[in-house]
Amino acid sequence: MDTDAVTVRQGTLDMLVLKALSLEPMHGWGIAERIQQISRDVLRVQQGSLYPALHRLEGRGLLAAEWRPSDDNRKAKYYRLTAAGRRLLATEQAEWERFMVAVQRVMQAV
Amino acid sequence: MRFLRAAWFTLRSLFDRSTLDDELDLELRDHIERETRANMSRGLTRAEARRAALVAFGGVQRYKEEAQDTRPARWLEDAAQDARYALRALRRTPAFAVVIVLTLALGVGATTAVFTVVNGVLLRPLPFREPDRLFVVSWLPTDLPFQPPPGLPDRVYLAYRERVRAFEQVSAYQRAQFTLSGVGDATRLAGVRVTSRFFEVLGRSPARGRAFAADDEQPGRENVAIISDKLWRQRFGGDSQIIGRTITLDGVQHTVVGVAPADFTFPSSPDIWAPLAIRLDKGNSFILSVLGRLRSGATPPQAARELASIATSLPSDPRDRGQNVAAILPLKAVVTAHIERSLLVFSAAVTFVLLIAGVNVANLLLIRAAARRQEMALRVSLGASRLRLVRQLLTESLLLSLVGAVLGVLIAFAGVHALVTLAPAGRIPRLDEVKVDGWMLGFTLALSLAAGILFGLFPALDSTRADVRPATTQGARTVAGAHSRLRGRFVAVEIALAFVLLTGAGLMIKSFVRMLSVDTGYDASGVVTMSVDLPNTSYPDAARVQQFHTALLDRLSHIPGVRAVGAVSFRPMGGMGIMGDFKVEGPTPLGSGFNVDKPTVSPGYFGAMRIRLLRGRDFSTRDDAASPGVVIVSASVARAVWPNEDAVGKRISMQDRPGPGDWLTVIGVVGDVVQDGALTPHATIYLPFLQVKSLFFINHMTYVVRTATGAAGVAPAMRAALRDVDAAVPAQALQTMNASMLEVVAEPLFQTRLLTTFSFLALLLAAIGTYGVLAYDVAERKREIGIRIALGAQSIRVLRMIVGRALLFVGTGVSAGILIALGTMRILSRFLFGVSPTDPATLATTAATLALVAVVAGLVPAQRASRVDPMEALKQD
Repeated sequence: MDTDAVTVRQGTLDMLVLKALSLEPMHGWGIAERIQQISRDVLRVQQGSLYPALHRLEGRGLLAAEWRPSDDNRKAKYYRLTAAGRRLLATEQAEWERFMVAVQRVMQAV
Repeated sequence: MRFLRAAWFTLRSLFDRSTLDDELDLELRDHIERETRANMSRGLTRAEARRAALVAFGGVQRYKEEAQDTRPARWLEDAAQDARYALRALRRTPAFAVVIVLTLALGVGATTAVFTVVNGVLLRPLPFREPDRLFVVSWLPTDLPFQPPPGLPDRVYLAYRERVRAFEQVSAYQRAQFTLSGVGDATRLAGVRVTSRFFEVLGRSPARGRAFAADDEQPGRENVAIISDKLWRQRFGGDSQIIGRTITLDGVQHTVVGVAPADFTFPSSPDIWAPLAIRLDKGNSFILSVLGRLRSGATPPQAARELASIATSLPSDPRDRGQNVAAILPLKAVVTAHIERSLLVFSAAVTFVLLIAGVNVANLLLIRAAARRQEMALRVSLGASRLRLVRQLLTESLLLSLVGAVLGVLIAFAGVHALVTLAPAGRIPRLDEVKVDGWMLGFTLALSLAAGILFGLFPALDSTRADVRPATTQGARTVAGAHSRLRGRFVAVEIALAFVLLTGAGLMIKSFVRMLSVDTGYDASGVVTMSVDLPNTSYPDAARVQQFHTALLDRLSHIPGVRAVGAVSFRPMGGMGIMGDFKVEGPTPLGSGFNVDKPTVSPGYFGAMRIRLLRGRDFSTRDDAASPGVVIVSASVARAVWPNEDAVGKRISMQDRPGPGDWLTVIGVVGDVVQDGALTPHATIYLPFLQVKSLFFINHMTYVVRTATGAAGVAPAMRAALRDVDAAVPAQALQTMNASMLEVVAEPLFQTRLLTTFSFLALLLAAIGTYGVLAYDVAERKREIGIRIALGAQSIRVLRMIVGRALLFVGTGVSAGILIALGTMRILSRFLFGVSPTDPATLATTAATLALVAVVAGLVPAQRASRVDPMEALKQD
């Protein structure tokens, strides 16, 4: 495990999953890869922890899932954002940005 | 849309769990496979790639479970699993489960039954508009020898109605009886005469037709009637054209103007409501029952003061002794007055039963938990979460409670049915409306579940303590000892409660037996009675009435099997009477206000009832209107009025200011008789019916017929004889004197039966509790007992040890019980006849009974203990 990797907490993990799926539907492994890719390897999620998050989001109706044949013709469970999921993502993103601006201001005001 | 999805997910996780689990499995395996291949494409071998994939993933099992945990219905799945385990565990110890369930069911079911009745009769509001604004108005003397029902004299009522301001409306009513003829057999119906505002005051109107109008009270316009729903359905077949139909009441045509709603039975379930026309009589004043609706903003004390001022402002009645008191009483209290105490006693009794049942359940659960301590300790040490274990044990208790609740509901239904059926007829108001409804079912369920949680919690917590020392170490034995003492204390508590209940029942039984063996002053065996009421319309004067009685007496005496015949205007235990005072000729130590019963009788009455004739002679047919007036007095009158002289030959008068013709000569003295439920002999002065002119005293008569064979043979002949004399007069209350006696004691009989049933239940439960605790003690101490026997203790000693423990429970329990009983039995004194609430004989008998039962309950475990094979016991460790 990379010592620089940041441990991701649950709420943030949910947001990352939603974001990762905002482009196109993906299966669990693909989501893990994508998060790793986009964060340029800083964020390494312990892969297994994705699954409780995915199932929880599915249970809340923010994601919808279906079993589809994947690139190698094996069936995989693909998740996609629902309309509710999209709305939540937008809200969370706005919140996060406000939070970042505030932290930045605090950090710079010394 | 989101919620639909969520709902669908929930449904799937509830009902299709295995598919979801399989999918999850597949999903995770797929992930690992992909990661493995990715690693392989980076150059690792398959084995290394797979290992790296697993490491990157983290604990597969852990995340799998976490993912499963996120399912919305997880708690439900857990509960279902707990329930399955619980069932399995309970099946392993069926005896325990059955006893606990039955105990709970009995306790909860009996309690629900009693409280359903208490709710239906006492607590439920009356079926009127704003019933808490309805009050009964009373202005009556307080210094009479008996407590009259609340009411106003008619003059006072009329003035009050005009001038009252505290009440919006008032209405008067008077119970009456009507003979309905022309529709099937002539029958006597209970009814009530009411003023026109009656239905308005109560805020209900008839279900069909109309209520009375002010006009209907006018003399001459009062031949209308409202009939009850029951009468309408039973006698008139629910005739939809009933309004406007004429019916014959007391020989007079009445028009039916309304049918009362089915749940309207005020007062005292009448079949007929008729208008009350108040006619003031110069010589007499009649007491009317009065109720009213209080104006909002007015209070009962205000109304009482207003009543007192209105009543005292009226010209005073010369007979009024001025001791009157104004009372404004809530209607509900008046309706339920005499039954309230009884029901409260029942509630207390059944609560005792419930407590005993609860203690039993607690004990049994404790024992069960103690027996599984090792199993629980092992599971805790293997890593089971304590929360989970406690949850599972509680599930077991809850499962037992649920089954107990279901059974309890059945018992409650049966109990309510039994209570309603066994209750003395007509004594408990609103009883026919008592039903087990949703609230009561909820109550049963809640009670049972509460018991399960309450009694299951402590054992569950206690037995899952992570104390893994084997049961043989010192520490565990101390714990076991403490538990054993706790169970013993529980049993003592049960025995104390059972003692109190049994004492109550014993007192009631003793009192009841005393009631039945009272010397009534007459001999009721073989006596049949029949009552008649002669309507004024066909019997307008005394002569005609006397003719009727003479004719019927004659006919009755000729019935085969009849030994003697007599008639009396109100019979003993008949529920009515006429009392009054009288004037004595000459000096007498008697003060004023000595009231006597004043029945009118026929010659031969005393003989027919076997009332002892102490001096002088009975009336004869020659004591008629043309002969000098005579009376017969009872022994207590003779003693009180002429203490050292012969009463025969003395003279008295029923008039307040006797003229020369008003003096009546005493021709005989008879023994006192017991007239009513108070079972005390009454001072009585008898008048011969042939000499009584006032219709009031002779148009209601009860014929008493002494038979050689018993009632069944004679009753039809008696009815036939009556029909021969006048077919329009219905026979009433045709029954044996013994049956009448039973009616009087119906209420005490009911109370006694109920208390006895509860005490038997309590005794049974206490016996089971004692047995259970002792049996477990023996099992727990098997090793110790084995050692004792090995060291030479004889079986007898061991037996004595166990039985001694049983007696210890009883001793403690009974001592506590005696203290409680001495304090609480006073409540029963109102119901007890001839027995003191602290009767030592009853207390002693109860103590002995409990001791016996406890010893018997302890014998089986004691036997088992004495037969313990020391080798076996020592090996078991």
